[in-house]
Amino acid sequence: MEIRIKNLNKDYFSEGKKITALSNVDLTIPANKIFTLLGPSGCGKTTLLRCIVGLETPDSGEIAIGDDVVWSKDRGILVPPERRGLSMVFQTYAIWPHMNVFDNVAYPLQVRNEPKEQIRRKVEETLRFVQLEGFENRPATKLSGGQQQRVALARALAPEPKVILFDEPLSNLDAKLREETRKELRSFLTKLQITAVYVTHDRIEALSLSDTIAVMRTGRVVEVGTPKEIYFGSEQRFVVDFVGRTNLVEGKVARIENHVTLIDTPMGTITCQTQIDPPLGSTVTVSIRPEFIRVSEGESKKETNTFRGKVESLVFVGDAYEGEIKVGETRLITRIEPTANIKEDDEVGLHINPGQCSVLLR
Amino acid sequence: MYRIRTILTPGLIAIVAFLTVCPVVMLLLGSFSEGLGTLGGFTLAKYIKSYSDPALTEVITNTIVFTLGSALVATVLSLFMAYLNTRTNIPFKFLFQIIPIIPMMIPHILFAVSWVLLLNPSNGLINLVLKEILNLKESPFNIYSLFGMILVEGLLDLPIAYLTIAPAMSSFDVSLEESSKVCGSSNLRTLLKITLPVLRPAILASIILVVVRSLASFAVPSAIGMPGRIYLFSTHIYRIIATGFSADYGMAAAVGMSALAASITLIFVYRYLTSEVEKYVTVSSRGYRPTLIDLRKARYPLFAVVGLLSFVLVMLPVLVLLYTSLVPYSMVPSLKAFGMMGWKHWSAVLKDPISLLSLKNSVFLGIVGATIGIVLSIFIAYTVVKVRTAASGVLDFLSFLSFSFPGIVIGVGFMWFFVRTPLYATVWALLIGYIATYLPYGIKPLTSAFVQIHRDLEDSSRVCGAPILYTLRRIIVPLLIPGIVSGWILMATMFVRELSLSVVLSRPGTEVLAVQILRFAEDGLWGKLSALGIIMIFVSTTLVILASLIGAKFTKVRKEG
Repeated sequence: MEIRIKNLNKDYFSEGKKITALSNVDLTIPANKIFTLLGPSGCGKTTLLRCIVGLETPDSGEIAIGDDVVWSKDRGILVPPERRGLSMVFQTYAIWPHMNVFDNVAYPLQVRNEPKEQIRRKVEETLRFVQLEGFENRPATKLSGGQQQRVALARALAPEPKVILFDEPLSNLDAKLREETRKELRSFLTKLQITAVYVTHDRIEALSLSDTIAVMRTGRVVEVGTPKEIYFGSEQRFVVDFVGRTNLVEGKVARIENHVTLIDTPMGTITCQTQIDPPLGSTVTVSIRPEFIRVSEGESKKETNTFRGKVESLVFVGDAYEGEIKVGETRLITRIEPTANIKEDDEVGLHINPGQCSVLLR
Repeated sequence: MYRIRTILTPGLIAIVAFLTVCPVVMLLLGSFSEGLGTLGGFTLAKYIKSYSDPALTEVITNTIVFTLGSALVATVLSLFMAYLNTRTNIPFKFLFQIIPIIPMMIPHILFAVSWVLLLNPSNGLINLVLKEILNLKESPFNIYSLFGMILVEGLLDLPIAYLTIAPAMSSFDVSLEESSKVCGSSNLRTLLKITLPVLRPAILASIILVVVRSLASFAVPSAIGMPGRIYLFSTHIYRIIATGFSADYGMAAAVGMSALAASITLIFVYRYLTSEVEKYVTVSSRGYRPTLIDLRKARYPLFAVVGLLSFVLVMLPVLVLLYTSLVPYSMVPSLKAFGMMGWKHWSAVLKDPISLLSLKNSVFLGIVGATIGIVLSIFIAYTVVKVRTAASGVLDFLSFLSFSFPGIVIGVGFMWFFVRTPLYATVWALLIGYIATYLPYGIKPLTSAFVQIHRDLEDSSRVCGAPILYTLRRIIVPLLIPGIVSGWILMATMFVRELSLSVVLSRPGTEVLAVQILRFAEDGLWGKLSALGIIMIFVSTTLVILASLIGAKFTKVRKEG
């Protein structure tokens, strides 16, 4: 089911100060896709999710789920959470400690007064789906973190909702388990053909899990796109910086020809391919992601975007070296092959593909 | 269903405001009225009469000495016990956990009476024994004195003082002390220069709490004070309404106003201080146990002191009552005494229609009252902790207010109200009064239980499609069971032994246990009193055990289900 959000606003008052949680949020969340709200803490992503589910009430605007308007300030519509027919997985899992696994998962079905036999069958199916068969009679609190997470997921899936909401569901798991669960979750959700709205501050989670990402900042949605569009194509400094590590170099637009822009920077002239031509002479920022800077030992070929620099520091992080290279007065972070024969203080050559330099306008 | 949430807070405010504001307003109106029949006709006569009474000066002096004295006794004893428990290697520490629950087991009136039985000048057991051994003509002790009252009240209020001081003591930042010792101070010097000053807010809070409680106390002033003609505020009011030819409720209200004002002021100071205590506590150590001070040779002697104190608090009253209920008249325990023991008093009590009626009423009030009270407390605690609007702040304030109410004063206020309703002289009048006065005791354990229930547990139920009442029934109430059980026990035991409110509101036909015991004490019927007292302790203890069993069963079924 599609979710349409129109001009949503919400302010909080905390100790007399007004805090804007949501500001003119317009968003259409497509049906049967995984949609992620990504942003730093306090950007309003959780508030937006809680507004969709009905646990919080916006100050103004409209929210429609499928064909039903569930909240509209102007039309005076407020559907309480229990009648929105959604499911949600909480950050804390919100597993009821006084019930066993079966009762936790069966709860939404019991609320709907479904026949006992049908409930038993559905719970069994759902537990099998999340690979928790045979756990029915375990007290829910005696499970491990990953298992509790799957109980929470099973409870959300059991009533076969059209929309499922996730509020940072993986943030309480340790790193390795988080990675596994992320992959599992992706495969569960793809199999089910369900609209999933996922809130996270973790860029890797957002990039690897989502069909679409909406990046939020201080109560506003600043950019919406596929993971690739967001990662490579963003022209906003905040987004580029937030979704991955990058080098930001300031410069002036010197020349433009056929979507190729030459920018004068302290480290030299950088050639960039751009979608939209920036105005000549304007000050812009060039973003170069560390993984796209090719570092070579010794002399390098004379190509476009070739620079020379000195290795300032070199840190071995396992799958690569993280090298800080000084080109003129500009420091660039790079990723260097772990097998490369490079030491600190070495003179190295750097090559950057013009297609992988993005010019940021804002 | 959504509407329930919106009417919940105003509805509760209306109920709690009725329970707390109504008696206060009626008391105020009553104090300006001529008599129970003429409410509203404004007159200052009662104030002039009561405050120009020459006896009042003595009452005020007595009350100040009594309340401060008891506060001092209770606080010093609790400091001593809490320090020994949390900071030293004293043996048998489990004893310290029993102390706070003692007051639930032994009603205050019985505790006071048992000391009368031990130390009264004419036939107190200890006095009789000492006279015999030491060949004295005069009894060495006289309980009917301000000093005796202070001692007994101090022991009675020891639990609340201990519950205020012990947590502060155990979460005390030990590094403060350690740095003092590094600077070369001895243990004792550190205690005096560092530990006690840092604990000052907790100590002050404890003193104020005991002052408020002893100001409201009626058991000790009536059982010990009145026979010795030592009158305090509470017994002065009682004297005005219950003795003599005409009960003057206007004058009682006028006197009550100042007791109420003092009490409310103190309780706000207390509230401020406890928030200070929390400030002091939260900055402290991160969960490591303080190093215990080795008491070495003092270990067992100090334990003997604590053991004696526990014996005096728990066993002695029960033993004295049991003994007195079995012997035909007061006599020193001897072979002869044991030979003369019999069930005379017991059968007399069990045949006495008023005693049986009071037993029936008290059991009814305990069970039904505590149940209604706890249901109300659940809703209030929910609104205060979970709904958290400005209105729920009002609710929190109102329900806390009754914490300061001295029972007899509030009883007079309710009297002015009930006289105008068909509830007058019914058991329901008592029930409403009890709930109004003891509501904070039900709310407190439930508030802490609600705080522990994460909001997500409730939210996720609503997202699952459960309306608010369904959520309440299936998620919140089961998780609250421990809080509900302890709140219920607290309320039920308090209702069973309730005295100070009942002496005003109890009428012929609505006698309750504690009032009946007071009547026996006034008439010197110690044997009957003791028998009924033992029955009373038995009833309270049964209620505690039953409630715990039901609570345990409920949680067990939930887990297996």
